[in-house]
This record gives sequence, C-alpha cells and structure tokens, in this order.
Amino acid sequence: MSFFGFDTTLPRGAGHSNRAPGFGQTHDPFAGLSAAGGDEDVIDFEDTYDGLGDQLDETDDAFNDDTFGGEPASQQSIGKDFDFSGQTSQIANTLREEEMLYRARQPPPQRAPAQQATKPARSGYESYTDPNYIPQLEARADIWGLKPKNQTQSQSRQQENQSPAPAAGRAPAPAKKMLSLDEVEAMIRAQSMGQSQPTPPVQHSQIPEMPSQMQPQSHVQPFHQAPYSQGPFPGMPGPPGMVGPPGMAGPPGMAGPPGISGPQGMPGLPGAFSGPPHILQRPQQQAAPRGYGPRQPQQVHAELPGHSVQGSPMPQPTAILQRQRPPTDSTNQQRRHTPQPQVPVHHAPSQPRQILQNPNRLSGHGQPVMQAGQRGSAGGHGHNRGPSLPGMVVTHPEQLLHLTEEQRAAFLEEDAKRAKRNHKIALLARDNGLMTPQDKNFITRIQLQQLMAASGNVEGQGSEAALAEDFYYQVFSQIRGAPRQTPHQPASQFAQTYLFQTSSRYGAGRRHGRGGDNHMQRMEQQVQRAVEAAKARPKGKQLVFEGTLGKIAFSNTKTPRPLLNVTRSETVDKLKAHAKKSSAMDRKATLRNIEAVYLTLMTMEDHERLIPPPVREGSDPEAIQQHMEWRTKMEELHAQLWQDIKIMEPINPQSLTPHPFIAMLAHAKGKKAVPRIFRHIDDTERLTVLTMIVVNLDKLSVIANGIATPEEPLSPSVREEIELFTHTVMPPLFAHISESQLNMIIGLLGLVLSHTHPQIVARTKIGMNLLTMFLSRAELLKQSAPEMDVTEWEKWTESYNRLFDAIEPALPYLFPNTANDTDDRHIWGFLAAMGVHASPEQQQRLVLGVKDRVMETVTMSKTLPTDLAAPRLANVNLFMRAIGLDVELLG
Amino acid sequence: MADVEVGVATEVPEPLELVRLCVDEVVIVKLRGDRELKGRLHAYDSHLNLVLGDVEETIYIVDDEDEDVESVRTIKKQSEMLFVRGDSVVLVSPTR
Repeated sequence: MSFFGFDTTLPRGAGHSNRAPGFGQTHDPFAGLSAAGGDEDVIDFEDTYDGLGDQLDETDDAFNDDTFGGEPASQQSIGKDFDFSGQTSQIANTLREEEMLYRARQPPPQRAPAQQATKPARSGYESYTDPNYIPQLEARADIWGLKPKNQTQSQSRQQENQSPAPAAGRAPAPAKKMLSLDEVEAMIRAQSMGQSQPTPPVQHSQIPEMPSQMQPQSHVQPFHQAPYSQGPFPGMPGPPGMVGPPGMAGPPGMAGPPGISGPQGMPGLPGAFSGPPHILQRPQQQAAPRGYGPRQPQQVHAELPGHSVQGSPMPQPTAILQRQRPPTDSTNQQRRHTPQPQVPVHHAPSQPRQILQNPNRLSGHGQPVMQAGQRGSAGGHGHNRGPSLPGMVVTHPEQLLHLTEEQRAAFLEEDAKRAKRNHKIALLARDNGLMTPQDKNFITRIQLQQLMAASGNVEGQGSEAALAEDFYYQVFSQIRGAPRQTPHQPASQFAQTYLFQTSSRYGAGRRHGRGGDNHMQRMEQQVQRAVEAAKARPKGKQLVFEGTLGKIAFSNTKTPRPLLNVTRSETVDKLKAHAKKSSAMDRKATLRNIEAVYLTLMTMEDHERLIPPPVREGSDPEAIQQHMEWRTKMEELHAQLWQDIKIMEPINPQSLTPHPFIAMLAHAKGKKAVPRIFRHIDDTERLTVLTMIVVNLDKLSVIANGIATPEEPLSPSVREEIELFTHTVMPPLFAHISESQLNMIIGLLGLVLSHTHPQIVARTKIGMNLLTMFLSRAELLKQSAPEMDVTEWEKWTESYNRLFDAIEPALPYLFPNTANDTDDRHIWGFLAAMGVHASPEQQQRLVLGVKDRVMETVTMSKTLPTDLAAPRLANVNLFMRAIGLDVELLG
Repeated sequence: MADVEVGVATEVPEPLELVRLCVDEVVIVKLRGDRELKGRLHAYDSHLNLVLGDVEETIYIVDDEDEDVESVRTIKKQSEMLFVRGDSVVLVSPTR
C-alpha cells in the first residue's frame, strides 16, 4: 500500500469493494481519486486544449506592470496565500496543543453502564471489575478524532486487510474502501504494540453464551504460548497466516505525533469500545516495548467480539474462535471457582498472563515497578507471592479437570487466597501511583520553595520561583485559560511541556530518567540555595544603613523583633540622671539669665553710643530734653540689668543649687559678662556683687572644682575656666577691693571665714588670690594709714588670727604639685602676704608648715641651670623675705 | 524701652532661641555624612550656619569588608575655627 491510498496494484474500482455491504458507508473521496488516477483513462492534453491561448492579445503587455506591480514576479514577491499546507504546517504544534486542550477541557465521559455485564451471581469480587479509574483513561478514546463507530468499522477493515487467513472462515468484513492514513497508522500501532488486550467486563457476558466457540482454542494454544515464552521480539511479524505488512509490525509509535505515539501506545483499539474504556492500557504500554509482537494479531481478533457487540450488527464467530486467550479478567478468574465446566477450560491456559495482566493490579493505579515485578513472575512461576502449590502449574484448563478432588480444592483455595490478597492489596493500593515520582519531586520542591520563602530568602529567583510557588494554578490557567490570540503565538514552554505530560502521564509517566534526574538536581539546588540564604542572612538582630538615624530590626520565629529596645540602666545612673535633669533645668534657666543679661548689656552699650551731646549752659531745651530722656532710659536699663543678674535673689544656704548669680559665673559667658556689668553698676552694687561672690566662694565652680592634688591635676577645661575667671572676674573684683576700706576688708574676710571653708578656698588658685588681695590691701592700708583706728586693727588682727588658724593645717597641702612645677608663684605670694601679717610665733609656724617645700625647691634649684633656678628661688624668696629671711641663708 | 521689655519678656522662644542659649558653650553638632563636630559655638544664623571654635570633627566610617563583623572606624580632626554651612547640620546639642 502506499500513502494516500493510490494503490495501483488493484484494479480500478477495487477501493470500492463489491463484497462489502454499504451499511454506514460514507462517501470516500479517495475512491474517486484512485479511479481518476487509473492508468486507463488518461486524458490527452491536446484533446482538451481549446486553443484559447492563441487568441490572446499580447500587444498590451507593457501595462502589466501597472496592473500587477512594477517588478517582475519573483519567488519572493509572489504571495503565499495559496500555500495552505505550508501555513498549516507552521502551526502544526499549535494545532496539536489545541487538540490536547480540547481534550483536557472535555468533561470526563460517563461511565459506561454495566448493563451488559451479566455477571455470574456467585461473583464475590465485583470490585475487581469496578472500573473506577476508567474516566481518566477514557481521554484517549477519540485521540484519532474518529467516532468509535467508524473506528469499529475501520477496525473491522483492518482485520480483513491484515489477516485474510482467519477471515477466510468468517463472513466478509465490511471493508469497502481504502484505508485512510490515520487508519493505517492506528492499525500499525495496534499491530506493533497491542498485546493481549483483555476484554473489558462488558464483553464477558458473551463468554458463557458460547462455550463451544472456546473449544478450538485448545488447538491454537501452543501456537500462542510459544511466542509468549520467547521473550521480546519487537519486530517480529505476526504469526503465520496473519498477512500484514511485516515491516510495520515493529516498534510502537513508528508513525504519528511523537508526543503521543509512544506512551499512549495503541489508542485506536481501546477507542473502539464505546463501553467501559480499556483498563489495561497502561500495562500494555509498559509491556509493549518488551515485544509481545506475536500475540498482537490475536489481540486484534480478541477484540472483535466487542466491536461486533456495539458497532457491527453481525457477530463474527471465527473471530471469537480466534480468541484462544479468553478475557483475562478477574471476573473470569472468579468464574474459575464456579462449578461451570467450561469456565476453567478456557481460563486455565492463560493463567500466567492473568496474573500479569490482572487489571486490578495493573490498570489505573498501574505502577511500573509493580508491573515489572509481575511480569517477571509471570514469565516464571506464574506469581511470586503467596504460597503457591509447588510444582502445580496449571497451564491448561483440562489439567484442572484431571486433577484429583483434593488437588483441585487446594488449587481453588489457593486461587481464592490469591484473589483475596489481590483484592486487599488493591484496596490498600487504590491510590497508589496517583503521583508519579516526578510529581512527588515537584511537591517536595514546592515545599522547599515555601521553606525558603518563609526563612526570608534574599535572592530573587525569578519566574521559576513563581512557577513553583503556585504550580497548580499555573498549570490550570495554562490549560483552562483564555484561548491564545493567534495560532502563531506558541504556547509557553511550560504549557507545552505540561500539556503533553498530562496527556501521556498515564502512559510512561513524564519524561523518564532525565526528568527524574532533573528534579533531583533542582531539589539539591534549592536545598543549597536555602542554606545559602540562611547563611547570607545577617547575623545580627538589626541592620544600620548608612545615613539613617534608625535601625532595621530583623525578626523570625525564634527571636521576634523587639518593639522596644531599652537597655536597663543601673540604679545609680538613674539617680544621676535625675540629679542631672534638675541641674539641666537650672542650667537652661541660667543660660536664659545670661542671655537676658547680655541682651540688656548690649542694649545699654548701644544706648551709650546714642548719648546726646553734653548739656552746657545755654543749650536749647530740646537738647536738654533729649539728654534727660537718654538718662532716664539708661537708668531703666540699669535697673533692668540689676534685675537680670539676679544678684538680689535671696540666698538659700540649704539649697542644693547655687545662687543664680553664682550659677552664671559657672559659664564662660557669665564670667565674661562680669567686667561689662561692673562698668554699669555703681560702687554699692559692686560691693554687693563682691560680697555675693565671697559668700559663695566655695560654691564657685572654679573653687569647687579647682582643688588640685599631685595625684589628680586639674583637667584642662577646669584650668581653662580658672584662667578665664582670673582674667575676667578677678580684675574688677581686685579693682574694687583695692579701693575698699579696711572695715570692708575685715568684713569680707569675716564672710570668708564664716560662710566658706577656708582650707578649701585657700587650696585653690582663685581663693588664694582673693585672700592674697585682702591681705595685701590690709597691708597697704596699714602702711599708708598707720594712724588708722586702733580698734579696727585689732579687729583685723583677730580676723587674721582666725584665718591663720584655719589655714595652718592646710599649709603642707597648699602646693598642688611637686616642686618641679613653676606655677606656684601665687602660692608663694599668698604665703608672703600671710607672713607679712603674721606674728613671729605665727611666722615660725608658717615656716614649719612649708619648710619641706622650701627646702625641696632650694635643693632642686641647685641641680637646675641658673636661668631655670633663678625664678624658682625668686618665688621662694618672695615668701622668705616677707618673714625676714632669704634663701641665701639656707644655702 | 518698651521693645526691650518685650524682647526680654518673650517667654515663648523660637527654636533658634535655644541655639542662642548655646552660644559660647561647647556644643555637639551632628552633620550629614556621619560627621560630628564638638566645639564652642561662637555664632549662628537662621540657616544654622555655624561658627565653631576649637572644633573636634569626628567622621564615622563603617567598614563592612566582612559581612559578619561591622566595625565602625572614626577619624578625628582638630580645627581651631570652623564655619559650618547650615544645610549639612542635622542637629545641635549642648554637651553634658
């Protein structure tokens, strides 16, 4: 035969068989074609040519370009609108996909009614025949796009075409026309792959009705058994007598779409049954490559009764005779236990294959592994599990008849056990194999994906991750989703893959081997990625980005993100913070006061510049008025300033916070303000300021923080502060003191002694300088006005004695540092001032107090160069001369 | 006279009044770019342009050469007098 059915070997009209009655016959276009292609009716061209071409006027061809375009027709310029096959082939894949889509969208077909299955009443294992998996398998019924009825007819024609010898004894098959390409392919596939197609239960009803037809099977049986035991013969043609194309009986799927052919095996044959779909499709597909070629023709015949039941009106007895292997179904298996004699007769020979093809074991749930095992066992002892009767292999139904009653009972019992066991296993394994290993891998991958997503995977994984995230939705939307816009737009790679996979998954599973490896690889990759992501996650609980004020905290289930991150401070710190807070408030208030003072000061200084020209006699009243206004304002500002410096605030000795004015002096700008304030206040007010400072002398920051010891020298900031105080506050004070009278000096000295700790004051530079001022002023007053009131001098002496007594214990500690330092001039000066006023007895005590330091300095001066030793000795001499001595005497 | 009283009596200060309190005080100024200044505030204006004296500038540099260990390096500079343009000032705070 040839493609397109141009069979030249047949006589003309042979495509339209006379033998076949015309029932259900549709018009065959090929029949006419083959007739037209015949070699007898060749039409000569010359006979048909009417010569019209000669009449054409070709003189105006010059305008052809205007009509048909400027360029001569070329291969490129000619449109391809006519090339329908080319266009179609471009979208062949699309068409195939659409076909799959159509099938996927088809509602599952109704389960075939079992009305035909008039089973024996004794059947105890009806569930064996329950084809609850059938709807899934039904999908392949119309794979060739043919109606089952037509298929049946074509099958019948196949029978006739392929096996004339068996057909000899039966009625003429209704094959009246040439086979179409599809039919041929289906036939080839059936031939090459079809193996022992067990008849569906529907057909079993016929079996009891024709026991006599089963008889011949015993004659044919050796013929069938032999090739079965021979093992794989993929290319082996059918048994003798089966006339068919030998080359086409080979491997399965040699024709047809590659995506469908292999795994789906022989779709045409099962499709022929409109009843319950074939339950053994998968086992057959699995077994087909192993090569059961020799049995295939039988198979074709074995199905014929089924066809005849539904499609063909005439039963074909010869075909039934052919089925020496009767329906290998559990129903029949059970029937074996029935006392009906004919049942064991036609069941026993096929027992090994029954086990192999037990539909409950293999179909629907069919697991390749299971099949393999069963196949192996089938080739050997029939089955490999459960206790089997040793040495008793019933290969022929008549064997069973010849057995003794005991043996038969034992055998039947054994068989019943096996059936029961199979039943149990089937119940347990009902859902086995619903997921292929690849499916499981997918699930595992999805779970891993979720794990990674939950553990905060940082690296994006693109579309693949999205795909794995909602895999089933993707599949669903691809298959059931909106139709594609144009046939040229290919379905996505994923859709293509999965579409064909779902179609073929009941066959060989999707993508053997390679797919599995791929999934394992991807799984490993995902595990690796998960581990990497976990590693890459920052170790710390928080992340600080550059330029941000806040921190980003991470959280996971183990360590939730802390909403508050407060470090618990020590109790001491709390107290300190509290104290500091109050002082901070005072500090701010002090700063405000200082600012107010400065504001007023600036206003006053600004106002000073606006002073009108001095008023003389004879100046106009306006100038006088101006002057008066200016003066008034100045006085107001003066009052304002006096109020601003808070000098008149009541002194609260118990208060922890210093007096506001003293607090101002703690700030550098407060100190700097003092000389400017002194410019604008009168003497009384200056004395008030001086008194305030003296009274709070030990509360001044420069004195409270100004005590230095050799172990703990002053900090630079304090030293700076003292320096600043010395240069800003002290000069106005000194100026005022230097103009004070003795009684005022006595009063101030008394304040120092009564309100402060003289030892502390005396140990600081500021306090020492202040005391030195008092003593010097007193000495000056004594020298300048010796005629002064005696009582005042007595008062002074009394005050001095109190001071001396208070300071004497601190004499050894007056020097804050070692003799190596040169910054002790003010101390020697203070000692000199003290010595001037001291009595001889006091001088002696004074010398005793500082003798060590004197000797130390003198000794060290001797080791030093002259230029360095001289100032030190001069300092010491300051004191020594005050008490009538000299360092030279010590040498 | 009256305006002086008003000026002194203004108890609701502008924000910059608080900065005014810090004049001639040692302040900490935080700047963009992980910089801090600590110095005596001599002058300021409404843009928070600042003149600072005896400034110690601290630059924080985050070294993340190793992801696990994030170390902060600091660079310190001393300046006797510094003019700071106000647009880089993040905050001004008194010390202590």
